Formats: sequence, C-alpha cells, structure tokens
Amino acid sequence: MIKHLCSKACLRCIPVLLLTVVALTQLYLAHSYGLSPWSGGGFGMFSTSDAPRRRHVHAYSISPGVRREIVIPDYLRDTALRAAALPTETYLTRLAAELSKIPSPEHGAACSIIIQVWKTEYDPAALIPSGSVVRSLEVPLEGN
Amino acid sequence: MNIVDLSLRLTLLDMVLRPVGDRTVRPLTLAFAALGLLIPGQLRSKFIWLPLAFLTGLRVFLDWPLPDNHAYLLFYWCLAVTIALFSRDSERCLAFNGKTLIGLAFAFALLWKAFLSGDFMDGRFFSITMLTDPRFEAFTGSVLSLDDYEMDSLTLFVEQHIDGELPARGLDIPILPSRLHLVSEILTYWTVLIEGAVAILFLIPSMAAVSRLRDVSLILFCVTTYSVATVEGFGWLLIAMGVSQSGERSKSIRYLYVAAFLLILVYSYLPMFR
Repeated sequence: MIKHLCSKACLRCIPVLLLTVVALTQLYLAHSYGLSPWSGGGFGMFSTSDAPRRRHVHAYSISPGVRREIVIPDYLRDTALRAAALPTETYLTRLAAELSKIPSPEHGAACSIIIQVWKTEYDPAALIPSGSVVRSLEVPLEGN
Repeated sequence: MNIVDLSLRLTLLDMVLRPVGDRTVRPLTLAFAALGLLIPGQLRSKFIWLPLAFLTGLRVFLDWPLPDNHAYLLFYWCLAVTIALFSRDSERCLAFNGKTLIGLAFAFALLWKAFLSGDFMDGRFFSITMLTDPRFEAFTGSVLSLDDYEMDSLTLFVEQHIDGELPARGLDIPILPSRLHLVSEILTYWTVLIEGAVAILFLIPSMAAVSRLRDVSLILFCVTTYSVATVEGFGWLLIAMGVSQSGERSKSIRYLYVAAFLLILVYSYLPMFR
C-alpha cells in the first residue's frame, strides 16, 4: 500500500513542493516583515551583508520621565537573535516580556519596553557603515 | 557502485563528518548516519532514513527561522531519500528529487543575489565578507597581501557598531586596497555565472548533451566555491545529491563527484584553505 502511494508522482514531489513553499514564504516574510534574507530557508545566504548576526538589538525601559537602555543579558542572546532575524511583533514582544523580568534600578515598575532592531548598510565606494532601524516596537507592560 | 548507494553513502558521510543539530538532535543524527554507514545492509534501510528525515526536519523546526540553507536542503534530501526507499523505482524518484532540488535551490539563490539584494551585484557583499567573515580569512589574506595591522583596522572600521550615520567631519576612513574591489567584482560575477548555469542546467528537461554539462557545472561550482568559503557540509550535500541524478552509464562523472568530495575534505584540513 505504502509502496503504491509512494510511486505516485504527487508523493515523489513532496520535497520539491516543500522547498518551493518555504522559499516563497521566506520571500514574503523578507519583503513584509523584515526577515533577514539569510534566514528562513529561501536560499538568500551569501547574497547580502544583512545577516541576522550582523543586525543588532537595542532595548529601552520606559517609565515616567526616564528612558533607560537595557543591556541584553547572555541568556537572552538566542531570543534576541531570533528577534533580529525576524522582527515580528511576536518575537519582539517575547523579548520584551523576558527583559521586563530583569529588576530595574528605578523606583516603580516600567510602563513599557521599546525594542529596536538595527541593520548596518555600507557606502558602495568607501564601505562606510551606517545603521538604520529595521523595526521598532513599544511593548506596554501589563499592570502599568 | 550503484548511483543510489553512492549517493546515500556520501549523504551519510556528510552527516558523520559534519553532524548537524543542537545537543539533542546531533547525537541522534550522528548515530543513525554512522549505523547506516557501518552496519552491512543498512544503507537503504527505512529504519535509518525515516528517523534521519524526522530529525533533520525537527532541527529546522526547532531552530526556525535561524537555520542555514544547508539545514533545509538536508531535510528535503533526507525526506526525498525516505520517499524513494518506499517507492517502486527508487533510482528514478531519487534522481528526480536530486535534480529538481538542486535546480530550485540555485534558482532561488540566484534570484536573491542578482535581483533582490541591494548590495550583491556592486561587489559590496564580497568586499564586506572578505574583511569580516572568518570563513574567508585564509582566502582574503592570500589575495589582498595585507599585514595584520592593515587587515585589523579595515575589519574594525566596517564592523563598528553604528546607530545612524557616522559624523561627516573628522572621520578617519581607511584606504581600501585596490585589489579588494577587483577581487570582489570577480567573485560576484563568477558566482552569478556559475549559480545561474547550475540553476538552468538542472531545471531544463533531461537531454544527453545537457546532462553531462549539468554534472560538470555542479562539480565546478563545488570545487571553486568551497576552496574560498569553507562550508564543507553544504558542498558534500550538493555532491551527494548530484550523484543521484548523474545516470548509471557515466562512470567518469561518478569518479569526478567522488574526487570533488575528497577535494573539499582536503580543503577543510589544509591551512591555506582554512
């Protein structure tokens, strides 16, 4: 029975269909959600210097009258890297939620956390680097 | 050796030499790949390839969206092998998937490089990569002939953390070596040419004349690309997939594929290529 099914063309084509669907989805996510061309299975590696590890993330804690940059700890490196690679609301909110658990030096809890994902671009002639924001999101913290 | 057996053996060897996945998946993929290679009669076993397809797919799923392209292609290939082993005509099924997966992977790679990326065709990508990517270190050192101080100052300049623009005044911009631009342009045009050739030759219908060119283009891609970029696992996977569609009659092409596999292994151990 399995042999019969697998001999059919449609089953034979599953890997090819998977590759095509994943690569087209990657194109859509890169175009619409700032996914790094290196990520997502669209074969965009080695096509641009905008790789996830070349992006960087800034996080700011916002409380009344105070905006303080949060240093992203090592144990959140993977979460931050995912947010850098694909800065969707889901990944940015997940990072903000983790950062909100870090005790803050200010009195009172923070109202929100801003997450910014930056990428570096280069001047074509002199390779002078410049940074631009891929996505920025302010995540309100519950209970504030 | 039959091309299906050779293709499967090279795939398993790839997974043993460069095991994939994190701490959970890696020992299992390594174990199944080693069992398939070492235990007589297990090379075509569904009990080896079904778990390998599952594990390589699990690795992509768990790491999404971060895995390298190589991880996705390995999953599709293990899945193709599994389906082929259940099929009545394993050889034809595997050849179809080997040929089409390579063609599509190169077509999407070409689409990104030649049309969608804003910094590939003008040579910027290779200039930056040669200065910052450790996988290109040996190549960059040998073609640019820079001393350590010059190399470090260029690397630090392009790798500096920038939010916004650098100040226009008082900026100490290092002078780029003239050869950097030339080498970047050569790499850019060669990459587009060879990847375009592989994509077209693997996606057009099979004909005897095209078939030979197809294998030669893939072998040429592997032996040139992986001498510069030390990403052996990807090179070995492409060779294993290439073998599957090379046809039973052409023994010389099979030997060339095996020689290319060994050459990439040599690249990975020689200091001048590392």
